[in-house]
Amino acid sequence: MGSNRPGVDTAIYGFLRRIPTGVLWLIVLLWSLPTLGLAVNSFRTRDNQRNAGWWNVWRDDGLTLENYDVVFSASATAGLKESLLNSFAIAIPATVIPIAFAAFAAYAFAWIDFKGRKWLFIATVSLLAIPLQVALIPLLRLYNFGSHWTIPFLEKTVTLIPDFDLVNTTTAVWLTHTGFALPFAIFLLHNYISELPSDLFEAARIDGADHFTIFWRLVLPLSIPVLAAFAIFQFLWTWNDFLIANTMAGTNPDAIATTIRIANLAGDFGRNEHLLPAAAFVQAFFPLVVFFALQRFFVRGILAGSVKG
Amino acid sequence: MKSRFLKLLALLFAFTLIAAACGDDDGESTTGDDAADAADDGGDMADDGDMADDGDMADGGDDMADGDVSITVTGPERDESEAGAIQEVLGAWGDENGIEVTYLGSADWEAEINVQVEGGNPPDISIFPQPGKLADFARAGHVVPLNDEAAAATAANWSEAWTVFGNVDGVQYGVPVKADLKSLVWYQPARFAANGYEVPETFDEFTALVDQIAADGNRPLCVGIESGQATGWPFTDWVEDMLLRQHGPDVYDQWVAHEIPFNDERIVSTMQAVLDLWTEDNVFASSGSIAATAFQDNGQPLVDGDCFMHRQASFFSAFMPEGTAFGDGEGEVNVFYFPDINGDRPVLGAGTLAAAFNDNDATMALLAYLSTPDYAEARQIAQATRKGGGATLSGFLSAAQGQDPSVYQPLEQSFLNVLETAAIVRFDASDLMPPDVGAGTFWTEGTSAVNGDITAQEAADRIEASWP
Amino acid sequence: MQGAILSGDDLSKIISTLVLIVVAVGASAILWIGVNLLFNQVRTSWTRFNALAGYAVGFLLLLLLQGNRLLKPHGPDADSITRLGELLWTPLLGALIFSALAVILANNDDQAQRLWITSGSGLLLGGFIGIRLAEDARPELEILPLLLSTIVIAALSAGVALLRSRNPVPAALIGAALGWLIGGFGVPELGDGSAVESAIAAAVPGLAFGARIGLSKNADVAGRARIDAKSRGAIFLVPALFFVTVSLIAPTLTTIWLSLKDEDSVDFVWFENYGSVFTDVNSFDVGDWTNIFTSLLFILGVLIGLGGLAIGLVLRKRTGDGFSAGGPAFAPLMIAMVMIVFGVLSVLRGTIMNNLWWVFTVTVFSTGLGLAIAVLADRAKLESVAKSIIFMPMAISLVGASIIWRLVYVARDTSKSQTGLMNAVWVELGRWSTGSGIPTVLGTVLVWVLVALGVASISRSLTSRAYDKVPLRALATIVLLWIAYRFTFDGIGGFRTNSAGETVSDTIFFVQDQPFNNVWLMVILIWIQTGFAMVIMSAAIKAVPTELIEAAKVDGATESQVFWRVTLPQIRTTIGVVVTTLIVLVMKVYDIVKVVTNGNFGSQVLANDMFEEAFLFSNTGVGAALAVILFVSVLPVMVLNIRRMQREA
Repeated sequence: MGSNRPGVDTAIYGFLRRIPTGVLWLIVLLWSLPTLGLAVNSFRTRDNQRNAGWWNVWRDDGLTLENYDVVFSASATAGLKESLLNSFAIAIPATVIPIAFAAFAAYAFAWIDFKGRKWLFIATVSLLAIPLQVALIPLLRLYNFGSHWTIPFLEKTVTLIPDFDLVNTTTAVWLTHTGFALPFAIFLLHNYISELPSDLFEAARIDGADHFTIFWRLVLPLSIPVLAAFAIFQFLWTWNDFLIANTMAGTNPDAIATTIRIANLAGDFGRNEHLLPAAAFVQAFFPLVVFFALQRFFVRGILAGSVKG
Repeated sequence: MKSRFLKLLALLFAFTLIAAACGDDDGESTTGDDAADAADDGGDMADDGDMADDGDMADGGDDMADGDVSITVTGPERDESEAGAIQEVLGAWGDENGIEVTYLGSADWEAEINVQVEGGNPPDISIFPQPGKLADFARAGHVVPLNDEAAAATAANWSEAWTVFGNVDGVQYGVPVKADLKSLVWYQPARFAANGYEVPETFDEFTALVDQIAADGNRPLCVGIESGQATGWPFTDWVEDMLLRQHGPDVYDQWVAHEIPFNDERIVSTMQAVLDLWTEDNVFASSGSIAATAFQDNGQPLVDGDCFMHRQASFFSAFMPEGTAFGDGEGEVNVFYFPDINGDRPVLGAGTLAAAFNDNDATMALLAYLSTPDYAEARQIAQATRKGGGATLSGFLSAAQGQDPSVYQPLEQSFLNVLETAAIVRFDASDLMPPDVGAGTFWTEGTSAVNGDITAQEAADRIEASWP
Repeated sequence: MQGAILSGDDLSKIISTLVLIVVAVGASAILWIGVNLLFNQVRTSWTRFNALAGYAVGFLLLLLLQGNRLLKPHGPDADSITRLGELLWTPLLGALIFSALAVILANNDDQAQRLWITSGSGLLLGGFIGIRLAEDARPELEILPLLLSTIVIAALSAGVALLRSRNPVPAALIGAALGWLIGGFGVPELGDGSAVESAIAAAVPGLAFGARIGLSKNADVAGRARIDAKSRGAIFLVPALFFVTVSLIAPTLTTIWLSLKDEDSVDFVWFENYGSVFTDVNSFDVGDWTNIFTSLLFILGVLIGLGGLAIGLVLRKRTGDGFSAGGPAFAPLMIAMVMIVFGVLSVLRGTIMNNLWWVFTVTVFSTGLGLAIAVLADRAKLESVAKSIIFMPMAISLVGASIIWRLVYVARDTSKSQTGLMNAVWVELGRWSTGSGIPTVLGTVLVWVLVALGVASISRSLTSRAYDKVPLRALATIVLLWIAYRFTFDGIGGFRTNSAGETVSDTIFFVQDQPFNNVWLMVILIWIQTGFAMVIMSAAIKAVPTELIEAAKVDGATESQVFWRVTLPQIRTTIGVVVTTLIVLVMKVYDIVKVVTNGNFGSQVLANDMFEEAFLFSNTGVGAALAVILFVSVLPVMVLNIRRMQREA
């Protein structure tokens, strides 16, 4: 550095230095194009969507709010308000409860000493590999009939879990999400919690704090970024889930989630596909709000001062 | 409500047990189980704990089901106008009879109904687009036969040509509720007239017309078989329609029942005949790729004159560009019957059948109502109104006998006319075959053949091999 | 909008929804905190802990019996309040008795007295329960099986305890109690016995259990600390393990069982289902493997890889470190790996190969891009804007995503305007590069300026002695040069020469043309999952202690050195988490394939195959076998990954 260079050189090299940032914005641009197209098309009529690309929007004879109008007012499957409420009734417990359970378990796997914890941890996280489709029918039967076990040879049937009459309720949906979310949640949270500096814990234990206190006072506040990260995803997955909501509560009009309502709006053979861009934006609104709300928890320095040396 | 609260209460206590039990075991243990075991114990205890409140809760939930006050109907029709119309009509019937009827359409009906049946949570009535699936369920004992009243109503309101699709091994399970007419060719009369073309009366005339249009430098046909999950189904419709024309209803029935193999010479030759017709010069499609052209994108080119004919079912009216008028005037679209070969006027149809998962009186009464012309008329009116009223086509069609034709638009009346005058009606074969084939390999291997990846013979061989 | 936005009905629905959420979340919280507080008493007040725990155990034990209608049942017509009362009074009584006993035991250190107290009350309580047993739960005792099962199980328990070098007496007592219960209640028909018989059947286990408890010593301070510590492990794990057991472990075991049975789950066919999957040409088609060696991707990949290897080896000789992440050999080797894998997997076809291709591509690109974006955005202005846009695809539901990508990929007849973005660009590029208008001239200038910039960047890194950046920049420049050459001379993009020798436009069938249609489907998932990788790694990057980064900067490290030497090692386990999760997630991908092609055009994947077999075709056996294959094939990768992460941590 520091040698004198002609102006053109400096300009070129200056440009090259900005390439990394340029690459970032180039990726951002590429990433936004499909969404942009969706946004533009959500304001175009069916025939315009079918006959010309969205970048030709300036040639259309005006934009229309008709698609949004239909999406807002459609009520054959469920009204927008009802389905949104149901989606919240599913997504909020399905986000909060797994976070709590996974945080407990992650803390136990990371900081409570017991024999075989490494393998128990591996076994738990390995369940991540199970395709959730295999559990649909067993769980539906569980919510429907409870769980009973006939003891071999003795031929006595024991009720392990009674029938709580949960089938076709939003409760069944979020319970299902809770189970499926835990392996990943434990994995993610454990990775973060186990790397918290151990001096913190030793200091706290010397002060006489038990696990419960350490967990509440130290681990939870320090883990906020990762809790926020998981909350974002879990909310989004449960909010956008179709399969589980449809399987567990698909025949109860009072428990219809927005995804089911939107899939129905499209009609068979893609009859009303032109409504889907508008519907997709209505559907994406709340996950984006959650993302923006939780993004501020990704802050540097939450561990500042906690590392000694 | 109270009983559920009770269960929750019991569950709370059950959870308390888990922890308490663990603590006790560990605390006073001299055999010294380690904590990992303790965790396992905890898991076991969780199960035990939940036993706490069996018994009296179990029957609490069932009381509702025996009440017969509400009926849930599911089916594949789900968009705003269809589901809305069904709900409106069934709801009105329910109000008269003091029964709460709910209709719910499903975007993934085929998979969903299987899961619900396996999971022990079927609806009261479901509307089957596939008689094959209905027969499977009937033989497995999942759906129940119609009671005498509903069976009598069905027999009185529908011709045997249609009721037979709901008849499994001599027992009537299904009530036809909707009919689609597939042997139709959409065209623009004015454009035909301008080019001096005539509507073909025989299949020879049809192929001659195709050659003529191609020779004039135009594309005779619009074909596109891309349809997302169901890609390939328009090809199977073509094959079925052609088979019915070339080899007659008997061969068709044998083929459907798998009495002749799928790779029978006659079937292969029919598949080949369709592929031969779909040459690059004959078909307007995305840069020549039929497999890449969306089924729903065939309306616009027909109206624009990029192609002259499009063989597709009666419900295709919904896929025409907005504002398309139906008739013989300039720019208007009409249909003609897809001509036959042997003069027997066979018609390929499709439709839906309602069947019940329980034999409650209310359920059966609703099935009986679904078979009536009253239902068909009410649904037609409701659906047409929801589509915008006026001259708009509803997309609904019923072959129930005794309907007032005035509820239908002229074009729809001509559909009904075709259905009524048809001597031979056959149901869409892919809906009758086992789903492995009818919603599986027939679509996928057919698509491969259309795409030129494999020959018709190879496709037929593979489909035959997949027959369960 | 006219009128009130919310009607009364809506409000009541909102309220009931809120109540449901609060009850669900609140009840779980209260329970868990309550249990923790209960165990806090172990250290602070041993007596109180015993009182509370004894109360809970007694209550639940008897509630269990009462709830299962084993104790005197209520009338069938009783209303729910009466039912509740009848359900609760025995458990409440039992709870008080247990509580009192626990308090006595907690304050009594005399071993003999403890034994007497516990065995005596065990006998009495057992007898009492036995007498109270409902008539249809009373067993008719059969002496032989009763004694047999008691002796056998007691002996087995004692044996196991001896093998583990433990005291056999407590184990034998528990074994005897269990054996007596099984022999007494399990073997005979219930409902035929008398009150005396059931009293005997219940009293003996009560005695044995009681004696077992009495044998133990009252916990001293150290013992209490141990109870506290051990119980916490269980308390923290149980909620998660319970849910995981019910919703994942149990269904998986069922699935494995079903995969050995036929399509109706009736007869055992053992491994026939697995055989049919592996012998199906659609799942495994490696017949054309020789074509690998003629594939351009493969050959170029090998050449670049050899180049990277050479650079690395030379460097290792000179500096002892040739292959570290971020070094000069790193980029060529990564590029070579991707090209070779693509070369191989585009030739070997079938469902299983498709899955491998998916897993490799999506994992590598999502992780790489997600990391790059997280790092670049971390120091960029408008960080939140960039991250929000990358995250956006995750928020759009699958239905929306499939419509979006249809809009991007669709090909229309070239006589019409393209509605798909990619084909529009492709066709226009073809027109420009083969045409002669102003766009063609501008385009030519642009591509050559880019080449010049590439050359400038190489010379820059040479003059500033940043040799480690040369290989990547050289590769990029060569690619730019090739594009510029094609653009200027042969033409590039969507055109073809028709039979009449004219140049006409041509489209690409992104979804239909095999085998690279698979890659275009993967792009959809990459588009979605990069946001996932980015968010998680962004959280990790923010957590890298600022002190470390400052220290490195003080030592004169550049931005890129800080990344490779400080940040990357710090977030290595997080990358492990992302990679492992993505591998699994991609292995299970089904919805994109289902919606876009449904497995047509050689794009089938395992999970969609499984979904079809299990839910559409009702081939339970084959569907289950596919699920097991899916699960088992990622298991080793996962276990290895997690083990490695554990060692690194």
